[in-house]
Formats: sequence, C-alpha cells, structure tokens
Amino acid sequence: MTEVTNDAEFRKALDSLDATRQRLVAARFVENVVALCSDKRIARVIQVASDSEAGEEELAEALKAARATTFDCHTRCGSEGDWSEQAGYFVARAATAALTPMAQMPSGPAWQAALSSRMAQTSRSIVTGDDTSGQEVIQQYRILSEFLDS
Amino acid sequence: MSNASLERGIHAFKEVIDAPVASFFSSCVRCGLCAHACLFYTETGDPKYTPIHKLEPLRRIWQQEYSFWGRFAKALGLSKPVTDDLLTEWETLVYDSCTMCGRCSMICPVGNDIAYMIRKIREGMAAAGHAPPGLIGATQRAVTIGSPMGVKLPALQAQIRHTEQETGLTIPVDVEGVEYLLLLSSMEIMNFPEFIAAIAKIFKHAGVSWTISSEAFEATNSGIQIGVSEIAAELVERIVAAAEKLKVKGVISPECGHAYMAIRWEGPNLIGRPFNFKVVHILELLDELREQGRLKTTSKETQRLTYHDPCQISRRGGVVKQPRNLLNMVAEDFVEMPETGTMNWCCGAGGGVSSNERADELRLKVFNRKKQQLDAIRPDAIVSACSNCRIHLEDGLEEYNMDMPVLSLTETIAEHLAGSDQTGSKQS
Amino acid sequence: MSETEFLLWVRGPALQGATIIFLLGVVVRILEILVLGRKPNLAEARGSAVAGGLRTIISRSFADRGTLQRTAFTEITGWIFHIGFFVTLFLFAPHILLFEEVLGVSWPALPTTIIDVTTIITIIALLAVLIHRIGNRVMRFLSRFQDYLVWLVTILPMLTGYIAFHRVGLSPNMLIAIHILSVELLMVVFPFTKLMHAFTLFMSRYYNGAIAGYRGVNS
Repeated sequence: MTEVTNDAEFRKALDSLDATRQRLVAARFVENVVALCSDKRIARVIQVASDSEAGEEELAEALKAARATTFDCHTRCGSEGDWSEQAGYFVARAATAALTPMAQMPSGPAWQAALSSRMAQTSRSIVTGDDTSGQEVIQQYRILSEFLDS
Repeated sequence: MSNASLERGIHAFKEVIDAPVASFFSSCVRCGLCAHACLFYTETGDPKYTPIHKLEPLRRIWQQEYSFWGRFAKALGLSKPVTDDLLTEWETLVYDSCTMCGRCSMICPVGNDIAYMIRKIREGMAAAGHAPPGLIGATQRAVTIGSPMGVKLPALQAQIRHTEQETGLTIPVDVEGVEYLLLLSSMEIMNFPEFIAAIAKIFKHAGVSWTISSEAFEATNSGIQIGVSEIAAELVERIVAAAEKLKVKGVISPECGHAYMAIRWEGPNLIGRPFNFKVVHILELLDELREQGRLKTTSKETQRLTYHDPCQISRRGGVVKQPRNLLNMVAEDFVEMPETGTMNWCCGAGGGVSSNERADELRLKVFNRKKQQLDAIRPDAIVSACSNCRIHLEDGLEEYNMDMPVLSLTETIAEHLAGSDQTGSKQS
Repeated sequence: MSETEFLLWVRGPALQGATIIFLLGVVVRILEILVLGRKPNLAEARGSAVAGGLRTIISRSFADRGTLQRTAFTEITGWIFHIGFFVTLFLFAPHILLFEEVLGVSWPALPTTIIDVTTIITIIALLAVLIHRIGNRVMRFLSRFQDYLVWLVTILPMLTGYIAFHRVGLSPNMLIAIHILSVELLMVVFPFTKLMHAFTLFMSRYYNGAIAGYRGVNS
C-alpha cells in the first residue's frame, strides 16, 4: 500500500498524476467535505467530476455550475460573514479546482482542491470551535493512498 | 450615522467644500465628456450617470453658500434648495453608480477631479441618512467588531493555523520590532486566505521580518466608502496604535483597493497628523524586493496574461509600474489591455458598489466595458491585486460566459518562487 | 438719441460700466475660490504636487486617444471655435489698436482675409456646437438656460463683428456700436456664468494635477 504521510509526499504524488486522474482524486477530496455545502448543485458537479468517462461538454457544464456556486456562496465585500456558509464557498472552490483544466491552474487542480477542502473544514471549525482541520489532512492522505493503489 | 438629518447633511456638504471643489464647479462647462469616461454611462447610455451630474446636491450648496451671486439668488428665494427628496433621488447616483474610480477626473477638459468630489458628497449623504443599508451595516460592524464583515480574532487565528499547517511556516502575530505590520482585508481572510500563505512564503524567501497585529488586522476602511470621516479616522487610529505599539518601520496594505487609498493617502489627513512609519502597498514592497535582488523566481507562466489595474491602487494610488515589473518576472506572454495603466477601466464593483445588493444588476451590466477590453486581447487569464476586483471579475466573467481564471499577483509570485525548501511550494 | 450719441455712449459709459463689472466680477469669483483654501496634505508625498499641477494645466488641453475617439465631434468643434475666437479677438488689426490704447502694447496682426475666413469658420463651429448641445443626449440632459445664454453672448460678437466689418445693412456707426454692445454684453454676463472657466480652469487643472502628482500620477 502506498503510504502518504506528509504534505511534501502528498503534493509530489498529486503532481505526478495526469489531468484525468487529478480530477478524479480531487473529486474524492471534495466528496469528503460535501456535507459542509448546502448548495444542491455541488452533488451533481462531484458526480460529473468523478466520472472518468465524462465528455468535454459535460465537464465544461459542471465547471460552470461549480463557478456559479462559488460566487453565490461567497460573502460579498462588506456584508456580514457566516463561516458555515463560507465552508460551502470553499467546497464549491474545491469543486471548481477539480474541474479546472491543468493549463489554467499550473499549481495543480488536485492540490488546490485539497487545500480548498481543508479550508472548508477550517471554516466549519471557526463556528464549532474545535479544530478538525488536522483530521481532514490525514483523511486526504488516506484518500490519495487508496486512489494510487486502485 | 445615528442622528442623521437633512440639517446635518447640509452642514457636512458645506464643510467639505474647499478651493478645489469651488474651482471645479466654477469651471464646468457642461461639455459632457466625463460621461464618456464613465462605464456606468457608456454601458447604459443613460445620461443621469454623467459623473458631474452625480454631484448636483453639492453643486447647489456651493452655489448658494460660496458664490456671491448664488447667495444673492438664494436670499431672493430664486435658488433650488437641497431637500430630502433630492438626496433620496441622488442616493443611487452617488452610491450605486459610482466607484470613485476617477477616470472622469482624468478626462475632464477643465480639470475637474470629480471622484474627489464624490468622496466629499458622500459625507453629506451619509450625515443626512442617505447611504445604502449594506454600507451602513458594514460600517457599524467595522466599528463594533473591527471588521466590516464581522471577522473576529478567533476566525483569523483559525485561518492562520490553517496557513501554518499548509506551509510549515510560522505566521508571526504581535511581534515587536519587525520591519512590517501586515494588514489584511476581510475579503482576503474570508474568501482568499491563501493570500496569507503567499505572503508567508515570499517573506521567508526574501528575508522580510513581519507581523500581524491581533488588535488591528483589518485593512478595509468602510468609513471611506460610506463617507463618514470620523469613522474612517477611528479605523485608521487603530492601525496607527498597533503600528506604534509594535514599533514597526512600515505598514503593508494588502490586495484591496480602497484600503490602500484609506491608509496611504487619506490616513494621516483623517487623523490630523503624519505617520511615523511608512505605508506601502504589497506590490510596492514586492517590487522593492525585486529591485534589491531579494525576490528570485523560477519558471514562467506560459498562458497569456493581462493585468487589471485596481483603480484605487493604480490611477488614484500611483502604483502603476510595480505590478508590471513583477508580472514581467513571471509571465512569458503578458499583454496590456487597450487603454491601460492609469487609463484602465474600472471593474465596476469598488467604493461600496459590491456591498450594495440594490446595485447588483447595474454592476453586472457595466462589466460589459471590461468584457470589451478583454475581447480585444483574448487573454487566458487576468491578474489583479484587489480581492474585490477579483471576485467581481469572476462574477462578471461568469455572467458573460467567459472562461478565464482571475489570479492574484502576489499569489502568482509566490507560486514561482525559486527554492524548494518550503512544504507545499512548487518544485522547480 | 442720434447714432453718434449712441456710439459715444456705447464706447464711453457703457464700456466703462461693462469693464468694471467684468473686472470686479472676475476678481470676486477668483477670490471666492481662493478664500476657501485647502488643507495641507499630511500623507508622505510620492511625487511633486506643483510639477503635477503645472503639467496638467497644459496637458489637459489634449485628450487621450480613447476619449478622442469617443468624443471627436465635441473635441474638434471645441478646438476650432476657441482658437477662432482668440485669433479674431487678438490678431485682428482694429482690435490690436484698441488693446494698444488701453495697455500700451501692440503686436503684429494677421491679414484681414485670414481673419475673415477664421470668423466664418468659428461661426460655423459655434452653430455646430449648438446643434450638438441640443441633439446630443448627454449635453441636452446637462444643459441649462445659462448654457444657451452663454452660447448666444459668444456668437453675437462674432456675427456682429463680421457684419460690421463688411458694412451690411445699417450705417457703419450703428454696426460698430452694436458690435461693441455685444462685446459689453459678453463682458457683463461673463463673471456670472461658466465663462469664468477661462480663468478658473487654470486653478481646477492645477488642483487636479497637484492632487494626482502628489501621489505620483500624471493626470
């Protein structure tokens, strides 16, 4: 079993994946935090992102939906922020990253999806007061390890 | 904002009129050129959005109080008064259809600085109780909580912890005697917290000593946007107190347009005394580091990039060359927009417009101006240095079915830092 | 009143009165601006306010390319009638003689044929400006009674001067009296209207350039 135990290994492994595999593993990261987003569109977006056979048009539609969700969930400048809503914003950003072509995201869509998913947990923890973001990281290592072995 | 009344509003209008304002109103020849500088007119064709027209209440006060003939006419009962109804009618012109971008100020043939006057007319509008509810709420939160979006210290601390985990770097908080105090806008803390990680990486790389203050971390100044100088001054005082307490040499204004205008150009004038520390925009500091050879980058972005000038940083702020120097370091294919630099077009969301839900439809409509600029050069991505521009550009691109990411310049620099000794940084 | 008496009145008391109102009015308007003052700028300067101010006084006469493309008609007709007005006012021999009487200095004149043509072009430009002010959505929206009054008092000296020079219609004395009267009308209206921009634009452009120059921006 491939063991990923730290972020350096994590990132290196992600960077070595091709575009489709980055999308698939990214979709799993997002799925892990999807409960934090109240917007119904994300479920469908993740479904498409998780489909290795998904066509270009379908992916483009899903990306559009993810971006729209991101914008709708964000806290607009000057309005009162709600961190549980912001968790949903980060989930949507993770979904957007998962579907963004690699050329547009040189830092790596899967890595960005992982970061945004962690941010979603951090946002939730601001509300609840307990810091579970460390757990999310470990779960992501496990998800990646399982993915690499499959 | 409490005790708002027409009387207080008119008093505020009188107070803000100075020699420049009087010269501007004296010189206006009603040529209408300012309309063609303003995206709110060019994209709607509605003449009520003509910049100088947005100032009518202030113009009347000038004429009736500060011109001989105007005072004479007023005494004879021949002048049109400034009433609550007039201010109600003008509220949407002053707040919904103006970002104080200042493009009109660059074009007026007689040299009127219309944006300067919009900033002043808002003082009277707010004092008379005619500011948009969204802005009033933001300002109240800024005063009582310390952030217009209600971001409290524990939330910032959570973001900081997350950043430390991600980067493996310590984010300094309340450290005395360092070079710089970094401010953050609530927009960044809530929507783009990766900015903090980018800063941490860059400053470690370049050897800059810095800190955040737990007592004054907010960069955004809602007082400037709504037009209540007392509140704007109070918000500045908090930053000054923190900077002096921590004995820093300089304060860094982050990627937020109006925050820079507030602290760099208005700050000392609001509180009535010069600062004993420098104020720099993050781009100014990054460019200084580049000049000193302390910023080493590797590999370049190959996608076609363009730069959107945030109005308060570029045209109204004077930070124009620096982003270009920085972008040229990391971009192979950097193309300027037609009409760029200090003549670039506003994104349409600054100065309180994006806080104002009532202005949403108009804001998205006028994005068409930016769209036309982008259509002319067809970039793959847009780079900018203001979180509000960034989110609004994303919204506008989505609205007009345009597929391109919007990137932060600071984050882009951080992505291309040379050296592989940081967890999470891109291997070169 | 006979024609001669009328002409003497126009050239005498009326001219004196108009000049006093003009000079006093202009001075009062300028002082009204200056007396308001402005607060010193306590922020650290990046550039020179003075240099910026002086620069903008000149540079603001020239529009940037994008604006020029959008507003070519306004810019071009504006340039033409302003230049034409000043050329006819300052470079026409009989006017220069008048200035010499008052100021004690004189300067070379342009040939009257050129002045003649310039006057026609200026009048046409002014007519175009009026049509544009009425026809253009933004200008029509912004315009008040004063804008049309100012247009009238500006074109009248051009028209009456042209007619007087070509001696059409009435006697030469009458024509010249009417011309001078039209100028006096302009002078009297001047301090109460936007015509003050002829003086105040130096101030407004300066302030604009100074504010921007302080921040390191060329405006």
